[in-house]
Amino acid sequence: MSNLLLLLILLPVAAALVCYFVRSSAVRKLTVVATGAILTLASLALLGQGAFEPVMVGSFLGISSDFLVTVLDFALLGVIFFYGLKHRNLLIQGFSLVQAALLVWFELFMIDHSAVPALMGDELSIIMVLIISIIGSLICIFAIPYMDEHEEHLHLKKSRQPRFFFFLVLFLGAMNGLVLANNIMWLYFFFEVTTLCSFMLIGHDATEVATKNSVRALWMNSLGGVAFVIGMMLVYAKTGSLSITDILAAGPQGALMVTGVGFLCLAGFTKAAQVPFQSWLLGAMVAPTPVSALLHSSTMVKAGVYVVLRFAPAYAGTLLSDGVAICGAFTFVACAALAIGQSNGKKILAYSTVSNLGLIICCAGINTPLAITAAVMLIIFHAISKSLLFLCVGTIEQSIGSRDIEDMRGLYAKYPRTALLTIIGILTMLLPPFGVLMGKWMAIEAASSNIWVIVMLAMGSALTVVYWARWGGSLMASRDADAPAERQPALISMPLMTLCASAVVLSFASPWIYNYMLAPMFKSAPFAMNLGVLSGSMGSYAVAPLFIALGLGVLFAAKAAAGFRKVKIAAPYVAGANTPDDMDGTYIGPMNGPVPFTAANMYLGELFAEGKLTPIFNALAIALIVLMLGGAL
Amino acid sequence: MDTLLLIILGLVAGPVLGGLIAGLDRRVTAWFQSRQGPPIMQAFYDVAKLLGKEKMVVNQWQILCAWVYMIAAAISVALFFAQGDLLLIFFVQAVGAVFLVMGAMAAKSPYSQVGAQRELMQILAYEPVLILVFVGFYLVTGSFSIEAVWQLDQPLLAKMPLLYLALGYALTIKLRKSPFDFSTSHHGHQELVKGVLTEYSGPYLALVEIAHWYETVLVLGLCSLFWTTNPLWMAVLLIGTYMLEILVDNTMARMTWRWMLKRVWLLGMGMSVVNLIWLYAG
Amino acid sequence: MFGSFIKKSRAKSPWIMHFDCGSCNGCDIEVLACLTPMYDVERFGIINVGNPKHADVLLVTGTVNYRNMKVLKNIYDQMPEPKAVIAIGACGNTGGVFREAYNVVGGIDKVIPVDVYVPGCPAKPEAIIDGVVAGLAKFAEKVEAAE
Repeated sequence: MSNLLLLLILLPVAAALVCYFVRSSAVRKLTVVATGAILTLASLALLGQGAFEPVMVGSFLGISSDFLVTVLDFALLGVIFFYGLKHRNLLIQGFSLVQAALLVWFELFMIDHSAVPALMGDELSIIMVLIISIIGSLICIFAIPYMDEHEEHLHLKKSRQPRFFFFLVLFLGAMNGLVLANNIMWLYFFFEVTTLCSFMLIGHDATEVATKNSVRALWMNSLGGVAFVIGMMLVYAKTGSLSITDILAAGPQGALMVTGVGFLCLAGFTKAAQVPFQSWLLGAMVAPTPVSALLHSSTMVKAGVYVVLRFAPAYAGTLLSDGVAICGAFTFVACAALAIGQSNGKKILAYSTVSNLGLIICCAGINTPLAITAAVMLIIFHAISKSLLFLCVGTIEQSIGSRDIEDMRGLYAKYPRTALLTIIGILTMLLPPFGVLMGKWMAIEAASSNIWVIVMLAMGSALTVVYWARWGGSLMASRDADAPAERQPALISMPLMTLCASAVVLSFASPWIYNYMLAPMFKSAPFAMNLGVLSGSMGSYAVAPLFIALGLGVLFAAKAAAGFRKVKIAAPYVAGANTPDDMDGTYIGPMNGPVPFTAANMYLGELFAEGKLTPIFNALAIALIVLMLGGAL
Repeated sequence: MDTLLLIILGLVAGPVLGGLIAGLDRRVTAWFQSRQGPPIMQAFYDVAKLLGKEKMVVNQWQILCAWVYMIAAAISVALFFAQGDLLLIFFVQAVGAVFLVMGAMAAKSPYSQVGAQRELMQILAYEPVLILVFVGFYLVTGSFSIEAVWQLDQPLLAKMPLLYLALGYALTIKLRKSPFDFSTSHHGHQELVKGVLTEYSGPYLALVEIAHWYETVLVLGLCSLFWTTNPLWMAVLLIGTYMLEILVDNTMARMTWRWMLKRVWLLGMGMSVVNLIWLYAG
Repeated sequence: MFGSFIKKSRAKSPWIMHFDCGSCNGCDIEVLACLTPMYDVERFGIINVGNPKHADVLLVTGTVNYRNMKVLKNIYDQMPEPKAVIAIGACGNTGGVFREAYNVVGGIDKVIPVDVYVPGCPAKPEAIIDGVVAGLAKFAEKVEAAE
């Protein structure tokens, strides 16, 4: 068992080293594909094994693994401090020094250094491992042709791909370690490794903008690191244990310990780019798309919500729990509002990611079995759909040279497959019967007992419809019968199609996923599953029947639409002034000249401009976080 | 088995009731305007005529979107009749609304595009209000399921009067009546020519019309849940509400989306929150 | 059975679109008067729709000049079958008193096929309604002939 776990954590490390030191591009590509395949198989094997109790990890070459982790911890802080010096950023230097100092105190004077089982795997960890290994591998495979094109576009003479893939693959191992960790020091270590990977990858292109944004990401995440250490110390002071399972089993234990958990949640907030920390994630969009897809939507930021969700039993029923729920709901509605004012495709996806992470954190704060189920469902399905969308936007950007959704208008005419995948991706994020909406439904039902939270969720839910529907609609267009077929490299279309298919198939399978993986987590499961229908005390969701009904309906509609060539095609109505022979809305305008069709979405700048809303939301969020931590005390 | 019968009843009753209501609507409106007005079956004649017209579209996505809009509206009414979960019904109905917007955005017509953007503003306005109304249902009955409403012995209207008024906003928007009919207006009125519906014609317009009937039946069905204890009073409530809608339509001017968002979010959500606080406290 | 209902409905739900091809607006005012409570054509199921894609019957007034004949043709083409055209007023029928002006084409039937001619200057609402009813009869004939 522990061999499997170590494979999941250490294989990516080894593969990353191969990618960096072996400078042959063919070997690198093979390594990435092979690592992806092995990780996928290993994670499925772990699923087959099922949940297991915490296991000890022995020593490497005579050195205790705990000691090794501690040494690497300080080495890591040293590296971060070095970069703080290099970029002359006092915040980074300060935060890393504070972390190091606190750690020294913690290690020397507080911990009793008894053996702690380092790794564990309950249902939540296994689900996270599956997401990281499978989706992560698909994204790494996508990155292979993507980075070739990217570097060709930038006219790079010397390839920087070794460095890129080193950090990308290393990151997978770090994430696996994070979600499998039972020893809180190990969790902290892997948490900081992901911070470093994110910093390196955001700044990969080494432009001024990239460097600035990577530095911002580093100081915000370092702030999270400081919060984590403080929280870790406060929790240990009361519980006396480094084992997460023990901490959770004990439950809330007094104001100081709960405040410690509050600081751990704050670390999760920074990692998940919650308001007021969302600017680092927005800035991270300058990185190449596989980075955005892997780190900043489906996995690294999920580490943040994982921390909040993992520690949920430790603050169940306290004021901190309500505080977490309100902070999460506020982020949900704030970032949904901010997304409306955006026309940059990646920024829309980024705001949507932060918004959904806020929803997950809100569910963790509500802390009922229904809410936790909602949170896990959202984690799974959001990871799939959002990574699909990011990869689609990356493909589109390389095809048309822009990431603005106004430039993507009518994409179906030239790139039907990519456009269709993007439209399906958008629909899976927004509509029933897909998983993200099911999670949102569960979240709303779970939140009904808290009036502030439910009002914010209702508003946020309405706002999400606007920015998704207008993007999906603008991609639709008519295509000439004799237009050339779209061609995509195999390693690009394979991940895209797999993710799209998984989004649909897994949404259909969600009741069984619930039954097999989630229901065992609770003493009293929120739903009973019967023939694909989830029925609970508050309401029921007929997943399978709805899927079949809507699915048949859509197939019928598509068949009707495909008979299109026999239907008469007319030009759009522009008061009779269409230019003859033009079917695209060009009309005869002033001076008898043709006026081409143009359109733009309403971005509601007077209400939803980023510049206007961000300061207000940041201020409110800081107030809410202070209230949350204060309430814990 | 029962559920299946109810589903079939919903699928059939939806357009029949919807069409009759549409016909009655035009008749009563005409009476308000000192005219005679069309026969009550007029809505069915309209749809039948549209079904018999030549098929003409601007692009194939319109066909897909019109069908999905109708199918989603039909499924939501079927779920409603089958006493399903209110939130789920709402989200299924939202599938239709989103596809209507997307179908309109697929066409390169200025009326269609602006109509689609305004339709999104309308969705933005009524969606939070509807969700809060459902939360009110949950607070009173303990469940989001419609079955629970029938177990009550006191009408919901007594406990949720302000939420009913907020629901009235959603009803006005869904029925496409003034002052909220700026994305497209109901029959006899034009806005942006026909807004979202400009580029739909013939059979596809018929599908959209049938979907509209389903949605009308759904929202009126929601209104009817506010007085489940006595069928006579339920009928009075529904008729009274609809007459009020027609009165408002005939007396108010069409407003802008900014006005609507401000009104519905401030007043509509404000009233909902106040009512919810009463329910929490009680 | 359903087919015959559709056929019956065509006569019971004629949606009109009104287009002014250079009229003095006299006939236009009379057309719009038909919609008022005094004449109330809505009781026949007639609705004034704004775009040709929703229309069955095109009511055209005015003499048609070289500029707007292109628009007239475009609008007529955007109407789905089955459709009918009604020319209203002396100008619409033959060009009226303006027939010999340099910019006037001289009558709607020089651009699109017309089914009913409603004379008058301006045509009275009763005559217009009469014309629409006659147009519906021709409608039914056309549909029969097409099948």
